[in-house]
Amino acid sequence: MISTFEQRRRRTGLFFVAPALIVLAAILFYPIVDSILLALQRVQLAGGAVTQQWTGFGNFERLFADAVFWKAARNTAYFSVMEVVLVTFLSLGVALLLNHSFGRSGFFRILLIVPWALAPVANAVLWKWILNANYGVLNGMLKSLGVIENNQVWLGTPFSALNFLLIVDVWKSVPFVALLMLAGLQRVPQSLYRAAYMDGAGPWRSFLHVTLPTMRGVIAIAIVLQTIWSLRVFDLVFVLTRGGPADATVLLNFLAYRVTFNFLDLGYGAAIANIIFALTFLLAAAYVWLLWPREPKGAR
Amino acid sequence: MSFARLREGGPLRKTVILAGLALFTFWSAAPILWLIISSLLEQKALIAQPPDLSPQNFTLENFSTVLAAAAALGRGIANSLIVSLFSTALALVLGAPAAYALARLPVPRANSIAFLILATQMLPGIAIAIPLFIVISKLGLIDNVLSLGIVYLSFNLPIVIWILRGFFLGIPSGIEKAAAVDGAGIFATFWYIVLPISLPPLSAAAVFAFVEAWNEFFFALILTRQQAQTVPLVIAQFAGQYQTVFGQMMAAAVISVAPVILLAVLFRNQIIRGFADGMMKG
Repeated sequence: MISTFEQRRRRTGLFFVAPALIVLAAILFYPIVDSILLALQRVQLAGGAVTQQWTGFGNFERLFADAVFWKAARNTAYFSVMEVVLVTFLSLGVALLLNHSFGRSGFFRILLIVPWALAPVANAVLWKWILNANYGVLNGMLKSLGVIENNQVWLGTPFSALNFLLIVDVWKSVPFVALLMLAGLQRVPQSLYRAAYMDGAGPWRSFLHVTLPTMRGVIAIAIVLQTIWSLRVFDLVFVLTRGGPADATVLLNFLAYRVTFNFLDLGYGAAIANIIFALTFLLAAAYVWLLWPREPKGAR
Repeated sequence: MSFARLREGGPLRKTVILAGLALFTFWSAAPILWLIISSLLEQKALIAQPPDLSPQNFTLENFSTVLAAAAALGRGIANSLIVSLFSTALALVLGAPAAYALARLPVPRANSIAFLILATQMLPGIAIAIPLFIVISKLGLIDNVLSLGIVYLSFNLPIVIWILRGFFLGIPSGIEKAAAVDGAGIFATFWYIVLPISLPPLSAAAVFAFVEAWNEFFFALILTRQQAQTVPLVIAQFAGQYQTVFGQMMAAAVISVAPVILLAVLFRNQIIRGFADGMMKG
């Protein structure tokens, strides 16, 4: 009797899961496989027809000899590392502020959710206006504060453009990660702080020995997720700089797009996409490893 | 030093925290406020140095001009609405039972399946975009709202499953046992008992999926041309065409983001809890 009930639950379970899995597989399985195959071909679009020709690792050989690819790789490395470091520290700081009794007001939660819900494109358009060289409010503010004397073309020089891209992306990314970390902070049991207090720990030591260790998992997850997200940044580059000036803001993701859909060199674009895919795959594996339940959960 | 005093901090720490909160408020709110102010100011007042914020310069003209002049914006909003509702509804219908089964029913390898689903969420869009573009072109479904909506399922379905699974894992098993004792089957338990108590996470998942679909740009750029253009594309085009009419550009941006920001603010508590549960529970 019990076993048939269990069998029924198992059957129903499969029946519940199957449609979602089939749909996901139908959308994703073929593109994933084909994207790997495309990277091994020379694929060109001409007059609406697709011509395909096997080239082995030709695309990858071309890739490693391509100065633009290496430039994009360097840009991406700088952008992602800085982005993740800044977002992690700022988010932790914001979460700690909001976890204090002064920061509990619902107002701050609204402040966090709005930048998250703001469309990346609208965000980029807004910052394009803020950074405008002639009438932008950033130039106006800095001039009236006496920081600069003349209007600056913020997106005009390679170094400045890449860093403003970074700042705008950090502005957009912090709120969400801060919300994650705040949720983590609120799960640190108060009794641990009380115990640390009994043992004579001051605020700094109780942060170091109670808050940080219990938050380790959350912080690790935030770092991995943020790295994956930073590799995906596209809308911002597309609207703010289109990769310029002098390819200074071409990130790998944007390069793959440009090669594929502007230069119509599909196989080469797929090769670049595969590099991003491989990087992301390693990061995703790290995420799963961090999150995988270590001890068996209670009876299901 | 008392324990409460230790947690709250002395005068110095309180000052630092207040200053930090003020800085954070300015940093987060200033760009948004500037977006709204810019959309409401006349062009002349807006490009004055410094901008002339006197009350008589505020107007709704930017909004009426943008709405009247740009048929593309209206069509974009309609398309975004269709794509977002379509993919969100499908994601809920397919995702809720799947999440329930993965959390509560004896599905073989439930954890592995759940993580496989999560892993698909991390696929970089560009990796699947090229083959998808080729396939959808061959099928003649480029510039079609529904094909875009189906592609959006590839990220909305995993989000919905993870948010709901996080919640379902936490339901006390006594509820299901009581239902079984009363003779309810698994379907009935799911439909009449589990779903009604899951309205908060369901709404969180729905809002989350809706926002993601509404804001999506990359696939929309690749898979649409004219007829099926969604709002983010229209805004990006505006930013190129109306470079110099800043107030109108900002008005268009405000119109495009207002619906989802409103949703997000209304459902903020559910979204925050739903996401934290989904992303941090193994």
